[in-house]
Amino acid sequence: MNGFSPHAHLLLTIAAPLVGAVVAWLLGSRGLSAVRQSAAVSTVVTLALAAWLIVRYLAEPSTAAGLPFALQEVPWLTEGIFDVRFSLGLDGLSLWMFGLAALLSLTAVLVSWDAVQDRPVGFYVLLLVLETAMLGVFAARDVILFYVFFEFTLVPLFFLIGIWGHEERRKAAVKFFIYTLAGSVLTFLGLLTIVLWHAAHANVVTFDIEALADGMMIHPLPMTADGGWLQMIVFLALLAGFAVKVPIVPLHTWLPLAHVEAPTGGSVDLAGVLLKLGIYGFLRFSMPMLPEATAMAAPWLFALGVAGIIYGALVALVQTDLKRLIAYSSVSHMGYIVMGLFALTPVATEGANLQLVNHGLSSAGLFALVGMIYERFHTRNIASLGGIAAKAPWLAVFFMLFTFSSIGLPGLNGFVGEFMILLGSFQRAWDGVSIAWQSAYLVMALLAVAGVVLGAWYMLWATERVMFGGSREPPRAGHGHADSHAASGHGHDHGHPTPGDRCDLRWHEVAALLPLAVFVFWIGLAPGTFLAPAAPAVRKATSSSATAFAARMHDTAPTVARIDSR
Amino acid sequence: MNDLSPSTLLVLVPLLPLVAAVLTVVLGRTLGGRSFLPALAGIGGAFVVALMLLAGTAREAGLGSGDHDHAPRPVEMVTTLWQWAGVGDAQAAGDAGSSALSFSIPVALRLDPLTATLLVIITGVGLLVAIYSIGYMHGDPGEPRFFALVAAFVFSMSMLVAASNFLLVYVFWEAVGACSYLLIGFWFSKPEAAKAAKKAFLVNRVGDFGLAVATFLLWLTYGTLNFHDTSLADGTLVPGILGASRLADASAYVGGAVGTAICLLLLLAACGKSAQLPLHVWLPDAMEGPTPASSLIHAATMVTAGVYLVARTAPLFVACPGALTLVSIVGASTALVAALIGTVQNDLKRVLAYSTISQLGYMFVSLGTGSLLGFTAAIFHLVTHAFFKALLFMGAGSVMHAMGGVIDMRRFGGLRRIMPITASTFLIGALALAGVAPFAGFYSKDEILSSLHARGWADTHAEHHESAPGGDRAAGLNPFRFATISSEAPVATALDAINTPATFRLLFWMSLITAGLTAFYTFRAVFMTFTGPTRVPDEAGHHAHESPPSMTVPLVILAALSAVSGWWLFSTHSLASFLASTPSFTAPSVAATATPLAFHWDIAIQGTLAAAIGIVIAALGHLGRRSDGPQMERFLGPFETLFARRFFIDEIYSGFIVKPLELIATVAAFLDRHLIDGLVDGIARIPLGCGAVIRRAQSGLLQRYALAGVIGTLLIVLALVARAMGQ
Repeated sequence: MNGFSPHAHLLLTIAAPLVGAVVAWLLGSRGLSAVRQSAAVSTVVTLALAAWLIVRYLAEPSTAAGLPFALQEVPWLTEGIFDVRFSLGLDGLSLWMFGLAALLSLTAVLVSWDAVQDRPVGFYVLLLVLETAMLGVFAARDVILFYVFFEFTLVPLFFLIGIWGHEERRKAAVKFFIYTLAGSVLTFLGLLTIVLWHAAHANVVTFDIEALADGMMIHPLPMTADGGWLQMIVFLALLAGFAVKVPIVPLHTWLPLAHVEAPTGGSVDLAGVLLKLGIYGFLRFSMPMLPEATAMAAPWLFALGVAGIIYGALVALVQTDLKRLIAYSSVSHMGYIVMGLFALTPVATEGANLQLVNHGLSSAGLFALVGMIYERFHTRNIASLGGIAAKAPWLAVFFMLFTFSSIGLPGLNGFVGEFMILLGSFQRAWDGVSIAWQSAYLVMALLAVAGVVLGAWYMLWATERVMFGGSREPPRAGHGHADSHAASGHGHDHGHPTPGDRCDLRWHEVAALLPLAVFVFWIGLAPGTFLAPAAPAVRKATSSSATAFAARMHDTAPTVARIDSR
Repeated sequence: MNDLSPSTLLVLVPLLPLVAAVLTVVLGRTLGGRSFLPALAGIGGAFVVALMLLAGTAREAGLGSGDHDHAPRPVEMVTTLWQWAGVGDAQAAGDAGSSALSFSIPVALRLDPLTATLLVIITGVGLLVAIYSIGYMHGDPGEPRFFALVAAFVFSMSMLVAASNFLLVYVFWEAVGACSYLLIGFWFSKPEAAKAAKKAFLVNRVGDFGLAVATFLLWLTYGTLNFHDTSLADGTLVPGILGASRLADASAYVGGAVGTAICLLLLLAACGKSAQLPLHVWLPDAMEGPTPASSLIHAATMVTAGVYLVARTAPLFVACPGALTLVSIVGASTALVAALIGTVQNDLKRVLAYSTISQLGYMFVSLGTGSLLGFTAAIFHLVTHAFFKALLFMGAGSVMHAMGGVIDMRRFGGLRRIMPITASTFLIGALALAGVAPFAGFYSKDEILSSLHARGWADTHAEHHESAPGGDRAAGLNPFRFATISSEAPVATALDAINTPATFRLLFWMSLITAGLTAFYTFRAVFMTFTGPTRVPDEAGHHAHESPPSMTVPLVILAALSAVSGWWLFSTHSLASFLASTPSFTAPSVAATATPLAFHWDIAIQGTLAAAIGIVIAALGHLGRRSDGPQMERFLGPFETLFARRFFIDEIYSGFIVKPLELIATVAAFLDRHLIDGLVDGIARIPLGCGAVIRRAQSGLLQRYALAGVIGTLLIVLALVARAMGQ
């Protein structure tokens, strides 16, 4: 183990799926099962490597102080004023997202097991390339690598949706592509401006994210009319890309379409990992590099987060397509994360950062389950589904679990992040804003808590219709198992699938969901394990913005009765 | 037993049922028809441990030493299991808050008289329900699931009453709700059951909203969420919200706008869980669940969580007289409204459900008096109610079992001849519920009425009790002298203004009328079910006989408890003096209201008279008659419709909240598809021309990307170099 340096370990982890992609491509002629087995092996190996890397990260004392781990730097141009290197590494911001990407890639492969029969080689190769891109984007420590990986998450997903998607896949793929591309081009321009500004003032051309963040503290972009509000303009440019990714209302309309049309494996990666890139971008770039602009925009983004919570929940409430409903639930849940992030209090931002992982687990689980339901009943229409719990009890158990996780049931992961976000937001509203803002903030915070009720409403409504009640769906194709004895009164047909009935979960489906379920409980019962390693990085990323925000609000901060706890 | 410390025992109470639940899930199939074994052993073990804890706590509280003169001292033990979550310094950077906040949540359990009492009730009734369910659930294919859920519920409920911080309370507040959801929807293939489960969860979520916001405000106000005092690493003491150091300080609780807001939010939470107006609508529907679950969760334990919450946070409420009075008003209104609805129900379980709502209302009335007597009387009633209402529900379940699932009282009658044990135990439960001396409900109801009477007619009580703290009689009788933190909020002030003797006089009369109504609907149900000509519905088939011993033994045990527990607990004053050592009740503002326990003949006579009138009217209408007659319609006229339709409250919610929200949602979904998406598409088209150029570069080919990156970088470099040279 001593001989295996962390940075080689990191590099190997990122490269492993790429190697797997090559293997899958070479095995293409051997048929579907060889390809999917090799893809599963690759993702398992990657996951094992990632898990081991995380263990090593946690064992390394220097990471607790917020230092990056497994730092890998390849000098590229280091002469004169140039200090350009490609660098990779993990820190508190990226650690859990890195692990989540590795975990969900395995899920994505396992849920595609039977669903993808058509051109499997291309599918699994793209899925594995996507994994490398997802791992890389979180490990990137310089702007160039980040951007390359960022864009590279886009391309495989474009093809996954466009080729292996459902009826309107082309429209969805194009819309997804244009939306995110248009946004990310602006983001790139914004990032370049930061690089240039830093180069002009520090006399060193570097793309290193940490160096840029430090430089922006010394030479901040101007936030005055004289300086052309450059910091705000750059902030908005970054926002364009990040807000589309998250997505922040009203830039969310690509999401339901992309999700509904995407193959299950694509949805899992999209909801679980790629949406988080927007939030990650805020934490990595906007907040540390553009604190004054962040502080100025924070109330508005906070408001947009709350709008997303309520709006996403309301629209979810009247969806007829189960997958679309869960897509809108993502809009609502990402609203919580945006809100927590821009509340700019430690509890809220750390909660938001944890909620990235939580939402990744629950939405990936739910999308995987919707895919499994679709495979069985060939419909996602809520009205034509029903009584699944009687036919596929384990499917129902997992659906309930991820539903409970999604609606923030205590003891499960979703609660922790949600509670911290709301608590931290209340703290902000209570004594962290000026008088002029206070009532608006309080109303917004209360609305966000009310969103918890709405969230339970649409999810439990869907559960009731799809899982419970009498059987409604047509008999499955080629399987004459009509539910003649649909239960009434004391149910009689649940829990006992007849021999040969393949309605309930199969081994690869259990293997896809079980690891997610383990983390759903783990994070719910011992969130401290996951909060602590991320805390220094989140604190560091948000502190300058929080300070700037406090300065903006300082003059008129209200004083509310508080009994001193000392 | 010496090697078992109290903290180990305390952990065992929730742990044993949890292990049982997990075992049942894991071994479900293996156990076959004996899937009740883990639950039975786990809950039984927890009950034994809870009894040991109760005995230990009672010793600790000095009970039985005959030393009643000393003011009760707080008895408390806290054990911390692990740190759940923490955010070191929660003060936002740059914020100049008035004090440091720390977000540190330990998984800490506490033991005090209140917790010990409730643990015994929860595990005791849980054990009887588990025994009863062996017979009741026999042969149901979901049997393992049922026992796993019951065990999980006992775990969650024990944790709820043993938790020592507000976040943990919130956690298990929702956890018991989830167990309740799963048990109401136990027969999930029945659409009504699935709907009722969802309704229960959602209505409870509205209450949870209150608890969540209250928790936030508590944290921001007191800087901690712990009940108990904690020490930081550097040795500084952080006073818990209900910790000894804060309780000792009379002015340590905020009143005014903030305090009132916190209390109102806690009240909202309590209304949700304990099915009080206006959030009571879920409980009657919850009767879709298996009857043993109704008995345990929706009668004896979970629904009393709201009572527990208010009792636990007594010092907070006492500092906000307005909010406290509202507790009483909500309780009395709920008690009356639910009793009125209960008079016209024909579904035996629904009669009992409305009765539960009504009796919980009684407990709230009592809590709202804000006196030590009121708080202890509420818990006293909680205890006796747990016995007799669990008994009545199990009796109804026994009837339902025999009648082949039929529970409409109009379809059967005269069952005392078929099921003598069920009939006689049900009668004892009914006598206890109706408040007939010497059955349990009589004593606890009498204490509640006394506590109300003391607030409504304070002067006469002062004369009765010469032993009120000498020289400072007014202070002794006014629990609110410590609520001195003035309020700037007009709403809070207006609310405080309702805290008058006149209000409590009105509430007293409302409660007395409710007592009459309670006796009426209870005995209407008894007469309809067990007297008159024997009739059995067709569905009963060959089931129409007395239930098996596993079901009747719990009935007999509970009947015995319903008969004697009230008299025993009252005459020895053991419960009241024991509970007085609960830290929350030793706050000066609560403890100062202590009055010597006494039997009030005047109130007892009024209560008994009310019950007698109710029973007599019920007998006139239903004794010995066929149960499907139109007596109620004739008797009540148009009111029958009003009561039978539950005062149209469900319709009001549907029309004013659910439907409008669904309409807004539909409009939002429409706009989302056609306006927002269209708008974005339109805007997207503008730069599409520019985008097309860039898009060509996005070919997805790595080489091109690399090339573009290199070229781009070179351009930047060139630009910079040019700039540098220009300077």
